[in-house]
Amino acid sequence: MSRKPQPSLSTYHPAQLLVPVIWVVLLALAVVAMPATEAVFRWLAPDARQVIYQRADFITLLGRHLFVVGVAALFTVSVGLLAGVAVTRQWGRDFLPLATQVASMGQTFPPVAVLALAVPALGFGTLPIIVALVLYGLLPIVRNTIAGLKDVDLATISSARGMGMTDGQILRQVELPLAAPVILAGVRTSITINIATAALGSTVGASNLGDPIIAGIINTNMAYVVQGALVIALLALSVDSFFEVLQRRLRSHTA
Amino acid sequence: MPLKDALPTQGRFSQWRPNWVILTLGLAMLAAVWGLPTVSVAANRIVSGTGYPVWQALSWGGGALASLIILAMMVLASHPERTRLSYVAQFAAMVLLLLLMPFGLMAASHWLVDASQPQARLGIGPAYWVVMFLALLGLIELRLRLSLARGWMALLLIGIGAVWLGCAALWLDSLALVQEFQVREAQFYQAIRQHLALVTIAVSVSIVLGMGIALLMRRFYRLQRGGFALLNFFQTVPSLALFGLLLAPLAWLSANVPFAAQLGIKGIGWTPALIALIIYSLLPIVRNTYVALEAVSPDVLDAATGMGMRTSQRFWQVRVPLALPILLEGVRITMVQAIGLTAVAALIGAGGLGAFIFQGLGQAAMDMVLLGALPILVMALAADAGIGALAAQLRRGAAYD
Amino acid sequence: MIELRNVYKYFDDTVAVDDVSLSVPKGKFCALVGTSGCGKSTTLRMINRLLAHSEGEILLDEQAISDYDPVLLRRRIGYVIQNTGLFPHWNVARNIGLVPRLLKWPASQVRQRVEELMQLLGLPVGEFANKYPHQLSGGQAQRVGVARALAADPDILLMDEPFGALDPITREKLQEMLMQLQARLHKTIVFVTHDMDEALRLADHLVVMRAGKVIQQGTPLSLLQKPADAFVDSLLGGLERGLKQASLTRVKDHMAPLGPTLPAQSRIPARYTLRQALSMMLRDHSERLTVVDQHDMPVGELSLRKLVKEAHSSEQGSSRES
Repeated sequence: MSRKPQPSLSTYHPAQLLVPVIWVVLLALAVVAMPATEAVFRWLAPDARQVIYQRADFITLLGRHLFVVGVAALFTVSVGLLAGVAVTRQWGRDFLPLATQVASMGQTFPPVAVLALAVPALGFGTLPIIVALVLYGLLPIVRNTIAGLKDVDLATISSARGMGMTDGQILRQVELPLAAPVILAGVRTSITINIATAALGSTVGASNLGDPIIAGIINTNMAYVVQGALVIALLALSVDSFFEVLQRRLRSHTA
Repeated sequence: MPLKDALPTQGRFSQWRPNWVILTLGLAMLAAVWGLPTVSVAANRIVSGTGYPVWQALSWGGGALASLIILAMMVLASHPERTRLSYVAQFAAMVLLLLLMPFGLMAASHWLVDASQPQARLGIGPAYWVVMFLALLGLIELRLRLSLARGWMALLLIGIGAVWLGCAALWLDSLALVQEFQVREAQFYQAIRQHLALVTIAVSVSIVLGMGIALLMRRFYRLQRGGFALLNFFQTVPSLALFGLLLAPLAWLSANVPFAAQLGIKGIGWTPALIALIIYSLLPIVRNTYVALEAVSPDVLDAATGMGMRTSQRFWQVRVPLALPILLEGVRITMVQAIGLTAVAALIGAGGLGAFIFQGLGQAAMDMVLLGALPILVMALAADAGIGALAAQLRRGAAYD
Repeated sequence: MIELRNVYKYFDDTVAVDDVSLSVPKGKFCALVGTSGCGKSTTLRMINRLLAHSEGEILLDEQAISDYDPVLLRRRIGYVIQNTGLFPHWNVARNIGLVPRLLKWPASQVRQRVEELMQLLGLPVGEFANKYPHQLSGGQAQRVGVARALAADPDILLMDEPFGALDPITREKLQEMLMQLQARLHKTIVFVTHDMDEALRLADHLVVMRAGKVIQQGTPLSLLQKPADAFVDSLLGGLERGLKQASLTRVKDHMAPLGPTLPAQSRIPARYTLRQALSMMLRDHSERLTVVDQHDMPVGELSLRKLVKEAHSSEQGSSRES
């Protein structure tokens, strides 16, 4: 066991939440106050007939975006965790090499290509997007669940068993808590990628925050593009910074 | 005395332990062969085709042959002992299946596509895709069990790919994908060139830039925190958003600064694409360069100094060679990421293979989407495997030295 | 009472434990000694069914261990391993309270027991209860490990090289602590170690293993006096064996009554070991020592000649306060 200089333990400062809260406030502001900023965007697109994206208001678009990403995340996290746990149990060991290999190859498949391949198979609309996001988002979670569980010190598990813990207790009370930081990192990667990929979904018939960008590019209306891009970027940064805080809190316990 | 033991006894007697992975894959393949449409036939490019099950597409004999190969593999996999020979035979069965598949398409084309209708086309059905996917998974599984070198696997896949391409080029004129390709052959090669050019330029620029930044960070410690935070920040911003956000200032630049316009800087096109690609590529390069240089063991550096090496000698002759594999790992990540992101760049008019994807999606022409997506996938996998192999080679060299 | 009768353990085709029989009476301390890979840890791990034995019988209190539910069995047996196996995400108090909580003790009782144990092992509650394992030194961590094993007051304690990863000074301190604990608690202990000195110091009964087989077993003194073969002899220190044996024997068991001759200048307390007596003779260039009681009153004498003669015959020795 190596003893590293110890970080201060579990010091939870409300100040840590400051960064995500700032991003969320900015996001909320951008979504609600967008119609009021016409003057600014007029300057960006002086010739356009409209400068604020009107086909749907930004609150609805944000809601749809969050819905798609959220539903996908629900599936990816539950299925990914189950799969990761299953292949690291004695009875699922057969599947471990393949699962590890495939999950680590996941990052090689470009999200666009995955999305594009999903459409011929599943058709246009929201459902195919969700399916594509689930399939793609699964891989980082499975990979990190496997890595996290494999990283748990064998001596710890052995002593847990020696103390008379059942397999279920070992999994719930020892393995999963110890693997949690790594698993959470996987969830973070998965959701961050999915927020970006969902935006591309508006090219395959799902309506969400990608819409204004696509519409803006097609109509060469810079104002639309910037509005869409701004809101997606703020959404991604908000979610990501929340995960950052969560991870820091988890890490502070185990060094 | 018999022991009624709750724990699994690892006795002297080998138990029945089939390879559940291959059995599961085999079952799924059989289900796909008989349960999903094998091919689809459409009268022209736009209408959606009608699917045909395996007994109509490949005749009962064809379906039976495929099932037989799959069953043979499953029987081998359920053999009580896991021998190398059995795995080799299973591997061969998978390869045979993949090699026979294009010939099945030929048969289907012969039976189902009306030769008098030049517009009629044959689409590869879900059963084909699923079986192909599962067979590849099976090959990966067997490769791991046989611990085959990646190089052999790559050669084998290239071989299988060549058979497919050969069949497609020579005999599969009615295949929708082939027709789509023939219509825009020149465009296709042009797109591949553009795609590769964008990726190469972006990655090379970011290698030079990224290594410079990493070296600066090592020298000026204060840069480090802020630098990584900034690069992380950009990596978090979704690609579509970053491309979008770059459009506006560049459009303004080209409208208001004549010199920029002369340089070819435009809001739409390759400029924002390249800038965004470089920004995204910087993080993995900088991070890996930094980590690689930091990771060299202090003992080794100490020894180098003790032997009388100058700082610069130590850097170039010790640090850099030892850091190279990790550095290449960064290049690999960057390359794969850039290949995918360049596809998105097609949305802002940068060209490349992404253009096929988005045009295809716009026209609901799925084969055109495939024409864009498949090469991107192949390129990403090839870059991943190629650079990965190079890094492994370097690592092995380092281990011997 | 732990009893192993002709126990075998196979891993695939290799024999890890080969016909091991031994018995540890209640309250006794048994050490399994041998080089790494000799099957001593495997033997230990079969006792709490972390590994299933392949052949033979293992009895705990005259019951075959296969009759016990493995999980419940393990909760009744304390278990300490080399790298402590403390849960890094739990603080010290929670780690120690693990087994009582598994046994569903009421919370107040668990807390009380944890505090009791922390005191017993010299870990001030206020200072350590809320620390995490990574904040402890190696010695402190293993104290917690021992406390955790003792938490549910098991009769049996299995210890797998518990002090193997500690520096010599800490190791000696913890050995001392374990001896004191054992003097109070009288657990039935099986202790695995590769350190013969540790085994000689702690154990009532020594079992020397090699290649899965028991080469020799018996009291420390009997082994020192008559090692079965060259391997045991070398484990026992070869040439130094005599000294080790001397360190197990007390002066009071070998002193002669005060004779007519003038008492020697050098004085040694009766409770000291023969090894210390020998050292004193060498230091003081004296072939005789005067033995004194705790009030420094002469009660006998010890001569080098007698010491050398008797060292081999005495079996009654081992009056070490255990």
